[in-house]
This record gives sequence, structure tokens and C-alpha cells, in this order.
Amino acid sequence: MAPTERPPVARGDVARDRLMVAILVVTTLGFLDAAYLTYVHYAGFGALACFGAHSGHSSCETVQSSQWAEIVGIPVALLGLLGYIGLFVSYWVAARLDGELGRGMSFCIALIGFGFSLYLTYRELFSIHAICEWCVGSAVCLTILTVLTGARFLRGETTAGAAPV
Amino acid sequence: MASRKEQKEQARAARIAQEQAAASSAQRTRRLQILGGVIAIAVIVIVVAIVLSSSGNGNRPKGTTTTLAKGSTLHQILGAVNTELAGIPQSGTTLGNPKAPVTMQYYGDLECPICQAFTLDVFPTFVQQEVKTGHVKVVYRSMCTATCGPEHSNAVNQAQFNSQQLAAYSAGQQGKFWQYAELFYHQQGKEGTLYPNQAYLTGLAKQVPGLNLAKWRADRTLPALKKQLATDNSFALKAALTGTPTLIMSGKKGTEIVNGTYLNTYAFPGPSQLAKAVTQVS
Repeated sequence: MAPTERPPVARGDVARDRLMVAILVVTTLGFLDAAYLTYVHYAGFGALACFGAHSGHSSCETVQSSQWAEIVGIPVALLGLLGYIGLFVSYWVAARLDGELGRGMSFCIALIGFGFSLYLTYRELFSIHAICEWCVGSAVCLTILTVLTGARFLRGETTAGAAPV
Repeated sequence: MASRKEQKEQARAARIAQEQAAASSAQRTRRLQILGGVIAIAVIVIVVAIVLSSSGNGNRPKGTTTTLAKGSTLHQILGAVNTELAGIPQSGTTLGNPKAPVTMQYYGDLECPICQAFTLDVFPTFVQQEVKTGHVKVVYRSMCTATCGPEHSNAVNQAQFNSQQLAAYSAGQQGKFWQYAELFYHQQGKEGTLYPNQAYLTGLAKQVPGLNLAKWRADRTLPALKKQLATDNSFALKAALTGTPTLIMSGKKGTEIVNGTYLNTYAFPGPSQLAKAVTQVS
């Protein structure tokens, strides 16, 4: 049986694949971070591993028990978790339904997360005077995702017939 | 000159190029439309989230954060509180021997600066002389004064008052009300700024030596404590008490409200006036 020959892969496709892998890795990290914070919110602060100290107690707990940890009674951690799930859904939409729309959705969700985490970081620094490493971790993930999903959206599909996820 | 076949191919190539350019242009237009939508949606959602975050949360107290003491300062405060309360029995908001012949009801508001002055300047001596000896027991009761200032609506004030007072009552379920209240007064912030938020109240609870934090959290919602708070407040209103701290001394010879002066306004009595009142009702 003759060996099958692999079709040549365009350099643009390789770059897009790498970009998507990076996006998936960062989204997964952010998802795990938000899932942990959501778990801690409902399970109690005993499970909150945090290195910072604030007035004799964990700085994460200070942040998580502050008024800014909830919006109309919904934990911000849970909203973050839903945001990451939304990102995964948008990747699926881009791959299966509508590439342009899916990539737009990804960028939109990441941008919202980035903007709100910027506000929350401001609150941590200037209102709560305590930093939660887990929240900062999620903020960093969302910053990276905003850049990567933005690049992916603006780059779009350059090769006819190519359907990057 | 190009042959007919070549001319056909050139025309075809030109048509394909035109179609590709049109498709590319349409794609660019759609992408720009989506980008516009993305930015508009993102801005709207972020603004709404920020507005809800900074002004919402129902009646949940919000406001500035007062930094709690730490390090050597906290060590000093804990030393003073522990020395004052060491060896004195506590039950709920009662400090002292339950069978003490004299009872002093202390109507206070944890945000009240005059209560702070009384608790830090006069109360420790009174505790050493009258409570530790088993002659007087002190029962703390709540009355909203400093917390119910004009800075905020009644609903916000009441939510703040309930939240902070119940936090202290909850520590009382573990026999540590007075440790919590004294730590509060030692680290009191500016009244009316809603500083005793959840982080502040939890921070104080963490400072109380030996307090079971999970139980403290759970007990904050006990109906019995809410009822106690409501009873305290309604009694204060019914008795037309004029401010905090109001100290009511009761013994076998009767009951009297112990008055005092402080900076020529409503205040509290000094140690000698308190001792005199104890003698009068004993």
C-alpha cells in the first residue's frame, strides 16, 4: 500500500493553529481559576489557599467577602465561570456554525471580562486594600485572552476555504 | 496579439479576481460591523456591571474600608482586651457573675464614638472594681444612634446596624461578645461611612482568640439574635432613651439611669459617678 502524502500546510494555518492552542490553554486556566473561586464561595473560606495576609487574615478572604465580590447577589466568581463557559461556546460556534460571528463572540466576552476585571483590580487596590492572587490570575488570563481573541478576530480567514476554529 | 483562447482566460481571471475582491470587501464590511457590535456590547455590559457592583447589592452595607490593626498594634489591643476580660464569665451579651446583685444595662452602638470613649477610658476600671469582684454584671443592649445618622437612608442605616450588632451578638454565642465589641471599639472608624462591611466584620471575628469562625458565620442569621436586637431597639425607643451610651443601673433598691457630661454634650459618667450609682441601687 502506497504511503499517503500529507497535503502541504500553509504557514498562516500553522500560526492560526498555534494561536488557537494558546487561546484554549489560557481559557482552560482561567476556567479552573474561576471554578475554584466559585467552589470556595459556596464551600466556605477554609478551602481558600492564599498567600497574602491582610489584617491578620487572608487577603483573598478580604476580597472575597467584600461588597464587590457579588453583583445583585450573584458571586462575581460565578459570573467569571459563566464567562469562560461562554468562551468555549464561542469557539464551538466559530468552528461549526459561523467563523466570523464565533470569533466576534470570543473577542466580546474576553473584552467584557477584561474591562470588569480591570475595575475589580482597581477596587482591590484602592477600596479593599487587599489583593487576591486568584482574582489577579483570572484578570491576567482575561487580559491575554483579549489580546489573543482580538488578534484572531481581526486576522479572520485569509485562505479561501480555510475554517479556523 | 493574444489568441482568442488567451483572451478568454484573461477575462475569466479578471472576473474571478473581481469576485474575490467583492467577497473580500463584503467580509471586511461584515467584520467591521461585528467589531462595532462587539465594542458596543462590551462597553454597555461593563458599564452596567460596574454600576450594579458599586451601587447595588440591595440593602447590603457598602462604603469605605477601614483598615484593621495588625502586627504590634493588634498585639497591644489584644493584650489590653484580654487583660480586662480575663477570668470574667460571659453569656450572650452579659459580662460578669449571672447572680451579681447589681445589673448595669449598657445601651450602645458599635459605631458610636462616645461609646468608644466610655468603653476604652472608663469601662476597664469599672470592670476591675465592680464586675470582676462579682458585684455587678453588665448586659449590653443595642440602640441605633451613630449608625443611624443622616448620611444614608433609613433602610441602609438599619441594614448596617443589624449587620454589625449581630456580628457581635453572634460572637456572644461562643461567650466572646465582649472581646468582639471591645475589638470593634478599639478599631472603630468614622461614623456614618458604612465602613463595617463584611470584610471588616469578618476581620474582627478573626482577631477574637479562639472564636470558631464557621459557627460565628452561621450564628449571624439566628432568629433569636435578630429578635434580641429588635427587642433592645424597641425598648430603647419606648423608654425614649436619648443617646448612647445609656447606662441603666438596677439593684434591690431600685433602678436609675446614670447620667454624665462629656464635652458639654450628651456623654457618660466617670468612674466615681458609676461607683456612686452602684452604691445607691445596691
